[in-house]
Parts: sequence; C-alpha cells; structure tokens
Amino acid sequence: MEDIHEIRKRRRTLQETMNFMAALSAGIEPILGRGANSMTMSAGRNLGRKFSENATKTDDLLAAVDEVRRVLEENHCLWFFEPFKPKNQPEMIMVNDKGEREMQIVFKDCMIRQSLFRFGHPQQGSLCNMMYGFFAGALENIMGKKAKLDIKHAGENACLKVLTVAS
Amino acid sequence: MLEMEIRDKACRGCRFCVDICPTDALAFDDETQKAVIKEVEDCIECLSCGFICPSGAIAHKNHHVVKNFYRNLYFSRRMEKFL
Repeated sequence: MEDIHEIRKRRRTLQETMNFMAALSAGIEPILGRGANSMTMSAGRNLGRKFSENATKTDDLLAAVDEVRRVLEENHCLWFFEPFKPKNQPEMIMVNDKGEREMQIVFKDCMIRQSLFRFGHPQQGSLCNMMYGFFAGALENIMGKKAKLDIKHAGENACLKVLTVAS
Repeated sequence: MLEMEIRDKACRGCRFCVDICPTDALAFDDETQKAVIKEVEDCIECLSCGFICPSGAIAHKNHHVVKNFYRNLYFSRRMEKFL
C-alpha cells in the first residue's frame, strides 16, 4: 500500500505541472506573438521525431497512426485517440482535391485539455499545436511524408482533428 | 454504445447544439422547431452540445469520460516520468 503522503505529494507536483502547462499555453501567444505556434509545433515535431526513431516504417496511413499510438504509449504519453469515420463517408481515409490523404481523428484523454479547463484557459492555444507537431514529426519518420493535424473542433470531452498526409 | 437523448419539452429550439456539433450528428426539425438526433453514430462524444444547451435538454449515456489525470492514481503514477 502506497503512503498517502506520497500520493498527495505526487498529485501536487502533477497539478503544478498542469498549472504551468496551462499558463504556458495561454500566455505564450500574447508574449511571443505569431511565432509562438511555430515554436510549440517545432517542439512537438522534435519530440515526434525522437520518439519514433525506431518505429516500424509503413505507407499505410491507418498502420502509421497505430504506430504513433504505440510510440506514445511506449513513452508514457497519455493521449487516447481513435480514427473516426462519419456514417455517410464511404472510407476512413479520403483523398482531397490536392491529392492528399485525409482522415479524421478523435482525441479523448488529453492532459492539455484537462489542464486548460482546470485553470480556466481557452482551448486551441499554442500547446494544442504541439500535437500537430508530434504527428508531423512521427509520420515523417514512419511514412517519410509531410503531415499536418488541424483542429476541426475542440470540445469539452473530446477534440476532432483532421490528419492530412502529403501524397 | 453511446446513448443520446434530447428532451422535447426542455428544448427551446435555439439551434446552438446543431451549430456546435462538428459532425452534424444533430439536425433541426422545422416542423416541431426543435433539435433532433440525426445520426447518433456520428457523435464523437465531445459533449459540446450538452454543455452549450441553455436548458440542459441534451443527455449522453455510456460515453467515454476523459481521465482525470491529477486524481487518477494509475495515470498519475505513469506521468511520474515527466515530473
């Protein structure tokens, strides 16, 4: 049985980290201006590249997304996401008019969202761009292609994002 | 399996839920002037409709509730690597 003081101490540390994350997300843009988003995106991309160094290479987008999930889990990153196919859409992966492959992903458990809500900050801040960067970096390693992850909807219990992979 | 319900008597027909739904899972019935569920399978469980509804007419059941990281011992333990 774990010591109650240890549990409380860990919670406090975690909460302070969350507080810092939320403040960073809300404050970085007014301070740094437009460059903030590219900075967080770049940080995420570096992390994605680093984590996926030894990931299995594939050209299959669904397999690549599974690989990203595995890489995140392996590195104790707690983001739960799953591909989403609307009922009237024939395939999970669609090709847009530029010839790029597109798929929708629903992000459920997200520490950034929890931190933002806990401390009363708005969603879709710079820190949300980190996930864009992470996917871009990881998919660059896994598929060898440029990718982007746009936020379509930031909800209270889940966010809907669109993953686009260059042809 | 997610269950969703819009209570007819509570719905004021403001269309907020229809506008906020990113997947068009809800629609507006012109006849009754109330929101209706179009495709429950398209609901991503973001709960935005429920939160924005001014009269609390929308309810979700059996949906995934996001993990409370700082209270959940299992998650808190796993996060230790970063702290």
